[in-house]
Amino acid sequence: MNSRNRITILLLQAAPYLLFVAILLVFGSLSDRFLSLANFTNIVIQAAPVAILAIGMTFVLLTAEIDLSVGAVMYLTGCILGLYLGGVPWPVGLVVVLAASALLGGINGALVAYLGITSFIATLGTLFIGRGIAMSVSNTASVYFPEAITSLNRATVLGIPSAIVAVAVVFAVAWVLLQQTPFGRQVYAVGQDRDAAAKAGLPAKRIVFFCFVISGALAGMAGFVSATQIGAITASYGLQAEFSAIAAAVLGGTSLFGGRGGVKGALFGALLIQTAANGLVIINANPYIYPLVTAGIIFIAVAVDGLRSRMLERLERRFIRPWEIA
Amino acid sequence: MQTVQRSSPPLLSVEGITKSFFGVRVLHGVSFELWPGEALGLLGENGSGKSTSMNILGGVHQPDGGRMSLGGVPYAPQSPREASRAGIAFIHQELNLFPNLSIEENLFITDFPKRSGVPFIDRRWMRKRARELLAEVDLDLPPTRLVGNLAQGERQLVEIAKALHADAKVLILDEPTTSLTRREVERLFAIVNRLKSRGVGIIFISHALEDVMHVCERMTVLRDGAVVGTDLRERLSLPGIISMMVGRSIDAIYPERSTGPREEVALRVRNLTQRGVANNISFDIRTGEVVGLSGLMGSGRSELARLIFGLDPLDSGTIEVAGTRLERPGPKASMAAGLAFLTEDRRNEGLLMDASIVDNIGLTFLKRFKVGPGVISGKALNTTAAELARMVHLSTDRVQETLAKHLSGGNQQKVVIAKWLLRRPKVFILDEPTRGIDVGAKQEVYRIINRLVEEGGAVFLISSEIEEVMGLSDRILTINKGEITGAFERSGFDREAILAAAMAPVGPKREAYA
Amino acid sequence: MLVSEAVSRKAEREASRSKWKAAASVVLSEYLVLALCVLYTLVMIPVVPEIATVEVWQNILSDMMPLLIVSLGQTIVLIIAGIDLSVTAIISMASVVGASIMTQSDGYLSGPLAAPAAMAAMLLVGAGIGLLNGLSITRLNMPAFVVTLATTTFFGGCAIWYTTFHSTTTSIYDLPDMFISIGDRDIAGIPIAVIVAVTAALIVHGVLAYTILGRWLYAVGKNPRTAYVSGVPVRTTVMAAFVLSGMLAALASIVYTARLQTGTPILGERILLDVVGAVVIGGTSLFGGKGKVIWTVFGVLFLVLIDTTLKLLGASLFAIYVIKGSVILAAALLDTLRTRYLGVR
Repeated sequence: MNSRNRITILLLQAAPYLLFVAILLVFGSLSDRFLSLANFTNIVIQAAPVAILAIGMTFVLLTAEIDLSVGAVMYLTGCILGLYLGGVPWPVGLVVVLAASALLGGINGALVAYLGITSFIATLGTLFIGRGIAMSVSNTASVYFPEAITSLNRATVLGIPSAIVAVAVVFAVAWVLLQQTPFGRQVYAVGQDRDAAAKAGLPAKRIVFFCFVISGALAGMAGFVSATQIGAITASYGLQAEFSAIAAAVLGGTSLFGGRGGVKGALFGALLIQTAANGLVIINANPYIYPLVTAGIIFIAVAVDGLRSRMLERLERRFIRPWEIA
Repeated sequence: MQTVQRSSPPLLSVEGITKSFFGVRVLHGVSFELWPGEALGLLGENGSGKSTSMNILGGVHQPDGGRMSLGGVPYAPQSPREASRAGIAFIHQELNLFPNLSIEENLFITDFPKRSGVPFIDRRWMRKRARELLAEVDLDLPPTRLVGNLAQGERQLVEIAKALHADAKVLILDEPTTSLTRREVERLFAIVNRLKSRGVGIIFISHALEDVMHVCERMTVLRDGAVVGTDLRERLSLPGIISMMVGRSIDAIYPERSTGPREEVALRVRNLTQRGVANNISFDIRTGEVVGLSGLMGSGRSELARLIFGLDPLDSGTIEVAGTRLERPGPKASMAAGLAFLTEDRRNEGLLMDASIVDNIGLTFLKRFKVGPGVISGKALNTTAAELARMVHLSTDRVQETLAKHLSGGNQQKVVIAKWLLRRPKVFILDEPTRGIDVGAKQEVYRIINRLVEEGGAVFLISSEIEEVMGLSDRILTINKGEITGAFERSGFDREAILAAAMAPVGPKREAYA
Repeated sequence: MLVSEAVSRKAEREASRSKWKAAASVVLSEYLVLALCVLYTLVMIPVVPEIATVEVWQNILSDMMPLLIVSLGQTIVLIIAGIDLSVTAIISMASVVGASIMTQSDGYLSGPLAAPAAMAAMLLVGAGIGLLNGLSITRLNMPAFVVTLATTTFFGGCAIWYTTFHSTTTSIYDLPDMFISIGDRDIAGIPIAVIVAVTAALIVHGVLAYTILGRWLYAVGKNPRTAYVSGVPVRTTVMAAFVLSGMLAALASIVYTARLQTGTPILGERILLDVVGAVVIGGTSLFGGKGKVIWTVFGVLFLVLIDTTLKLLGASLFAIYVIKGSVILAAALLDTLRTRYLGVR
């Protein structure tokens, strides 16, 4: 690989970060309120639910699978929380939500890993079923959360807002899990080449299963955090949340084909999208262009990634006359 | 043949291994021994049984008969994992590393060291141990470097380090030098020598005879699935080894052809160059002529075919088909000019395995069945496909119902040939047309080749089997490392000379060993 | 074991095997979904007697039509092993663009040509977005999933924004009668929507079964590498699939818009999962190379039939969702089982 190619690849790799810097510069020059600590705190709080979802989605995407059911899991566990756990202390509520959502994730994982159903279809099915059950328990009416939960939104830990604490904890645990445990590294191996991983003796099926459990549990967590923020949910709650999560993860460099990416990227992607949205609000942009900007950002990031991988592929070819290349 | 007397027992002994695939016996009692601290060269032509023997040692296949023992105890691995647990490390040409993980993670992927009491990876210990392992293979790289960023030779060394980590007693290296630079080869040899001094036994499989002669103390030559001889390096010479390799019984009869080459040139290739792949290749094929291309694994024979057909980009050079120059190479343009290409990778490039015979045959020339704008006559296609199927003697006439994946290898190959015959090609490039098919099907393929040239076509035949090339070609070219190293007229066909030409050193200073 | 005993056991085994084979042939038949529809209807007659009436079937038919048209496009895209999530945005975008042209309150055009021009523009919108999808996938090496996710976000947003220029509410009203008649008129007793959908289905069937393009689509879906080596223009084929999917979504938008009598940007939002679900229930594979128009017809029929009967039963949205989800899961499981145990794909 010569140095010019190396630089091009590095530039392509850095493209999302350059994009982030560009967004900061553009909005920063248009409004002096934008580049302030208070505003950044706001951005992180607003981005929290999608960031948590995207972190969970990353585990599934790393194994080259997909989880479309996360929005339904958010809705269903949100209903459970609002309807049945109003009287209990919030930590108990959180634990029940996490357990229920992990169970739902486990169902997805079993369908995909052990029954061999394509994850796209399996989670599409559970999406419908999950939303259906949620509508049934809520009678498709709005579900309100008790004060004990909504007050969490104003709570702080050592002066840090609770939503940021939640994201930080989830991120830290997920990062340690992926980077510092055998399981995490094996997730990457399984996502890169499932057959090779199985041949090497890794429990590929079990690893895929647990990735779905994690994705499910974090969907519950994301639902909990957003419940503290919005106070009530309706039947359209969590619709298309799966797409936001996938977009954030992919924006952060996680591949849909497995084996590449990480939770840092998911956090970055969610923050990038939210920063752009926040900037648009601050400069009083026409609200109708928000989705256009988001889509444009996703498109550019993925197009750049496509070019990069095509280039890498070309450079990684094997040669018969290696002395001509080296 | 003399055997060497030794006092210690062998590390590995293989006795009378037999193996058949689909009723065809490919190993007829292979026996050899490996002592600790020695390197044994395993030599033989393609199809001589080297790979099968090694796959049996590595637990990929199980033998039909015979015995193996490792370190004095019986050894019969049922899977690659069992083999590696028993202490056999098999380093394939296609390396089994995860490019998205670091060197250290690849080394420890199945047995990460954990910190006491917690489920976290003990990175510090892992890094320390990885450094030691890398030092043993002379790889001065940070253990945190991604394997995807390593050169081919470095990846190979990581695989060897992985074998060391697994405490391998026997290391099998399959064609380890083909894609390495000279410096990397020298480093590899230094490591092999070091491993030998530590008592590891090495089996070294290679077509690069100088490499084998350099690093191995003994050689075992295989031919037709049996050992022809085993001897010490000092008692062997290059010509001697080649003649042992080629003394092969002829198991196929090559049908006579009634016509010879004509004057006009069907394919003219001039100064074809692609950096790293092919260097300044020029040759002609005349109408009615079969030109064979003989080369060993990694010689660039398939790559040349792909360059000509336009599957890979060219740096420079020209290709003319029947006097017309190909301006923008690519399969479509090549096909329009009259080229056809039978790929060596039948499964991934030759056939739609999930499609019917008709759909496979029709794919190259759907326009021929056009009855309206974009509309084709399925009936006409079915009729023609059935005719072609009969012409190539396909085993079934249910061409609409039978899927390609349900056919035997030989019949699959006939379908690939039929789909190209549909276009009546002027030049048919055949890359390994008889690989993995039985003797009867081979005969059919030979007859089809003859008929093709008799009817005014031209054939570029690429094969790793020298007999086949000799039996069918009017002329033979040899290729090594992307360069043409020899040309032989039919009257001057000589097996040993052809093999020697195919092994002729190419590239900078092949002979300069320190 | 006695010999006779062994023989009788063998006979038993064979008998059970032939029973299994008979069961397998039903399961494997491409009419399985149709058979399930019939069975389901028969079972439901005692519970919801209305299901046996002509009116209900007319409703089912008219509900099926726009969904079927979109699903035809999705079938083509799934055949090349792609996916098109942008169909919902195309439906919305086409709806508001068409309505803005022909609306009688300050539309771009008036007179008898307004409706045909608007419909042409709608199809053009579909083709354009489809082309953008195809180009991004073939030229920029992007996965279809992400490309169409981005375009659906983008054009979904565009459609809402665009509406604000033409209406003070969320929809554009006052469409010409000529256009609305597509949604509620008959020709010789057959609703125009049905004629449009059936024509589209026949054309797509024709393309898939009798044309060069059709063969290319299947070949690219089965193995793009082999297709390329055999001279198939793989990129053109992929683009064609996405352009066709876009145009069919736009055609569905014409039918939806005419039935609603308004152009609205939220038309397609909820049907995406129904579309993918219907096509997959019919038996078209997400892995490409396998799919038929008739399967998709059955898949759409099955989904709409379930929807209708559950509504007649007064079932809640809850039951509809749960049953739909279970049907999708069951179809996927069936497909997995037949691939794994019977070696059929």
